[in-house]
Amino acid sequence: MKSDMTDKEEVRPTLRILHLYPDLMNIYGDRGNVIALVRRCQWRNIPVLVNELNLGDEVDLSSYDLFFIGGGQDREQTLVCEDLRQRGEELRRAVEQGAALLSVCGGYQLLGREFVTWKGEVLPGIALFDMRTEGGEKRFIGNVAVRSRLDGVSGTLVGFENHSGRTWLGPGAKPLGKVIWGYGNNGEDGTEGCVYKAALGTYLHGSLLPKNPHLADWLILHGLCHRYKVEGLDPLDDELEWKAHEAALKRTQAEGSLGARITTFLRG
Amino acid sequence: MRNARLNRPTVRGSAHAARRSCGKVKMFLMATRETLAVCAGKAAMWASRRAGLGAGSNLPGKVALHLLPDLPRRIASRLPEGCALISGTNGKTTTANLLAHFFSLLGERPIHNRVGANLVTGITAAMVEDCDLRGRPRGRRGLFEVDEATLPKAVELLKPRLVTITNLYRDQLDRYGELETLASRMRGALATLDREAVLLLNADDPLVSTLGEDSQAQVVYFGIEDPRRQGEGIRHAADSKYCRQCGAHLEFLQVHFSHMGKYRCPACGAERPSPEIAALEVELEGARGSRVRLSLMGRELEVDYPLPGLYNVHNLLASAGAAYLLGIEPEVIAQGVESYRTVFGRGESFSLRGRRLFLVLSKNPTGFNEVIRTVKREGTSLPLLLALNDRIADGRDVSWIWDVDFEELASAARFVVATGTRAEDMALRMKYAGLKREAITVERDLRKALLQAVDRAGEGETVYALTTYTATLDIRRMLSRMGVAEQIWENARRKGA
Ligand SMILES: [Zn+2]
Repeated sequence: MKSDMTDKEEVRPTLRILHLYPDLMNIYGDRGNVIALVRRCQWRNIPVLVNELNLGDEVDLSSYDLFFIGGGQDREQTLVCEDLRQRGEELRRAVEQGAALLSVCGGYQLLGREFVTWKGEVLPGIALFDMRTEGGEKRFIGNVAVRSRLDGVSGTLVGFENHSGRTWLGPGAKPLGKVIWGYGNNGEDGTEGCVYKAALGTYLHGSLLPKNPHLADWLILHGLCHRYKVEGLDPLDDELEWKAHEAALKRTQAEGSLGARITTFLRG
Repeated sequence: MRNARLNRPTVRGSAHAARRSCGKVKMFLMATRETLAVCAGKAAMWASRRAGLGAGSNLPGKVALHLLPDLPRRIASRLPEGCALISGTNGKTTTANLLAHFFSLLGERPIHNRVGANLVTGITAAMVEDCDLRGRPRGRRGLFEVDEATLPKAVELLKPRLVTITNLYRDQLDRYGELETLASRMRGALATLDREAVLLLNADDPLVSTLGEDSQAQVVYFGIEDPRRQGEGIRHAADSKYCRQCGAHLEFLQVHFSHMGKYRCPACGAERPSPEIAALEVELEGARGSRVRLSLMGRELEVDYPLPGLYNVHNLLASAGAAYLLGIEPEVIAQGVESYRTVFGRGESFSLRGRRLFLVLSKNPTGFNEVIRTVKREGTSLPLLLALNDRIADGRDVSWIWDVDFEELASAARFVVATGTRAEDMALRMKYAGLKREAITVERDLRKALLQAVDRAGEGETVYALTTYTATLDIRRMLSRMGVAEQIWENARRKGA
């Protein structure tokens, strides 16, 4: 790969994605995020490569541009937590050098300082994000809408959340956005997710990226810029993506209405 | 239990007579209260029917339980043949309906809860409907499909003689949290069954096959033994992949679909139990169903089974196994399997405007993947209707569609009409599965979508409608209103009532 990069004119920028623990951390359609990244590169004729990292695999993280980790149940999280700790420094270095990263739900929780489960078990994180998570009794479940600001551009994000962990950001952490409807990080301070350089953490699944094409492209662009000089991405016809985005936004609004609450009560 | 205690004289001495008459009053009040609960339940049922709430309403059960929480226990204790419960994530309705159908061939009509009404309220409603005003049941036995999370409560109330568990998938995690937690609650409930009870478990599901560990009941396993039925599961929708004994990753020697198959633990040697209720040979025949050679504890029979897909073979095994264990002869079971008509949208076909409509309920990744495999056998340029709802009964979280191999379906589709409350999500999934944008239509209105799909199909062609739970209900209702599905509705009503 080194020889490729000496000759920048000749080389077409390629996005190298590493899907972390797809076997264990795949609870809520997380695969959809990788599908979205791959398709959106293919539609633009950007060569894209996806590799998987499973427990114990020997992989050189510095050769990747974009990392993805999804959510998992308690048992999976414990297994992944141990393996991830061995690679914490390497992953933090990749992010420091500008690689993009998306972590969702259970994966997000493992990237903080620590995760103390409801049973009192302590899962030490890799401290990529300055935050800590505590298990709570009640699960936060439902559609979510978030207002986010990335690189100075404001926009909405939509998804579905289902977590019992409450995440608290430290003084060094920046949230991904503010909750418009839903619970977000902890259901109290109105923050959702975390951003550090081009690394994102969030509780939103749904899957997240197909319905939030601007976020998918933000990750792709940062992933590419990490190794190549790329000005921007060719626009795509995202009419269907935005339709789904709008529909999900409306869904969260409708859930807040009185009628919806009465219906829920009667059906329950 | 409480009945017995109420009848026993508890005090002696001078106050005896007074206390006894007090006891009689209590008994009388209790009986009155029971009659009251039954009456109120029946009234609520009548009212909710008048109000058009239909079979899915929880109201009658809620009302009756509110007046007498003990009512299901009382009615169940009067059933001479006791209760049989069917639980699991997928296939409980089909299994329960097949089993009810076997009994109907013998002229017996068990008390049976309706489609989807599988919580304590639904079971209570079915009992209230089928008993007289004093709570004496009209049937000889109860046959109930039970929601997985409700199983502990149902076991406690109904003291079942037979419990069947079909499978456990994590599709309902948004309701229950952890699959392991759910399984251990079920395991605990099954541990309370007595020695005379029978527990019929799916050997092919590594989590289900461990549910009888702590139980005194006689455990019987069912499973698919045909070595040719090697599918491609354990990819995206894999759920319980760990050894319960030692926590190691299970090794699959054969995968039927999803996480169902033959497995063993490489670390401690724990193995899939050998099934006594087995499908020895399965010939899949697409949407038409399959031909299956069965063994019921050594008694072999061969049947033409009208439900499509390998996942339905598990339902066949669960129902035939339960029937056999409850004393029904294999000949009757064979006759029942072949004469079974689906009561409720699990692979039915209708004729509509000169086209055929194949309607199949698909509610989670495993179900969908199996249906996709079945539909793919039908051609390479298929007209499709995909309906995705996110109502409570469907699961409000639709992210599971990204775990379904829609890529397989995209290559077999000519066009897709996406509909339902999450029509846009469905359309988007098909776009990312590789279907051209021009081949995808979004039409939120279910009726318009149905007609559009049918009209765009050619004369005599089949439209394949893959629909989630409430969307299936809605389409059935719609077809019924158009006069298309009337006959089958009639059947459903007779069976359910
Ligand atoms: Zn083991």
